[in-house]
Amino acid sequence: MQLALDVTMTNVQAGERNSTELDDIDALVRTYRPRLLRFVTFSIGDPDLAESITQDCFLKAYNGRGSFRGDCSVNTWLTSIALNLIRDQQRLQKFRFWRQARATAIDVSDAANFLASHESSAEARILAIERTEQVQAALENLSVNQRAIFLMRFAEDMDLAEIAATIKMPINTVKTHLHRALKAVRAQVGGSR
Amino acid sequence: MNTTMHLTEDQIDDVLMGDLAATTAAHLAACEDCKLRVAEFATPIASFKAVSLAWSERQSATLPSKLTLPVTSAWQRGASWAAATAVLLVGIGVPMARHETRATQIVASNGTSQAAPRTAIATVARVQEAGRGAPGLVAPTKPDAQIARDNQMLQAIDRELDASVQSPADTFGLAPAGGPSAGHGHFAPVQIWD
Repeated sequence: MQLALDVTMTNVQAGERNSTELDDIDALVRTYRPRLLRFVTFSIGDPDLAESITQDCFLKAYNGRGSFRGDCSVNTWLTSIALNLIRDQQRLQKFRFWRQARATAIDVSDAANFLASHESSAEARILAIERTEQVQAALENLSVNQRAIFLMRFAEDMDLAEIAATIKMPINTVKTHLHRALKAVRAQVGGSR
Repeated sequence: MNTTMHLTEDQIDDVLMGDLAATTAAHLAACEDCKLRVAEFATPIASFKAVSLAWSERQSATLPSKLTLPVTSAWQRGASWAAATAVLLVGIGVPMARHETRATQIVASNGTSQAAPRTAIATVARVQEAGRGAPGLVAPTKPDAQIARDNQMLQAIDRELDASVQSPADTFGLAPAGGPSAGHGHFAPVQIWD
């Protein structure tokens, strides 16, 4: 992760070091699984299926590590693999997003206990949970692409060009999706004036 | 844009998206009200990011730390191909071998092979020896003598049958067409009158 964020590193060096990073599947899983699991889970709304897709994603990344050229970060590469797997699942119609996944819906209510120190007071935790549930509810009403783009931008901290490359869309289309997603979230959280 | 006109919602979205124009950035630097609006909307998103990551880290901690990798080394791929080829060869070879064996048996039963008659001769010899009361199997004998003995045996059986079984012709007092010396079962050929 640190390697991918080092902007002074040349692409060749990054590629070599990332390839080495990809060779150690256990370290790869330890480092990237939480973020990848979050992306997949909040993209599809089904935690059980998300675990399965995340595991498939790591296997696919490990088996295809030779094709990784190092022109993006490992996290971005993994996210693009996960996105393809999510699309495959969607294409196969093995599940329907969100509304049909209520039985195994994501429950973030106890996750606030594990938040960083600045959110550690009881009041702050309750407020954080409340805001999170509002954003989560807003995500439910988004399209698949809007949700994925929102998560890539605001959960994965990917810039617009990176998102466009990952999701294989023009950057203006990405912006349009993000504007719509933000409007929906704003309407849900009541931040609109 | 002057400093008295505040940012629109789309411009605030642009700020959040990281697509910051120079004029927007200049206004934001000077306008506390717009800063507050951006922060107001950024806070729930930041909470979502933190809480969802905490949730995900907790979920990950409950999962097995190691993945079971499917082995796809080159030699194992080769072994898979070899196994598939072997299965294919067995699948084709076994039916072909069976077909060939069956063809050989058909040829043998037609008398073109010597193996089947020899087996039959040996079987008859065993039967004969059993009839004489000799225990076990006998050694193979010469074919001519064997055939002669077989013929004798069959004639003896024929005679026995002639003596013990009354012919239906005798029952009804019918005489054979070729005269009394013709014996049972030997009838004169039917004459067709012109």
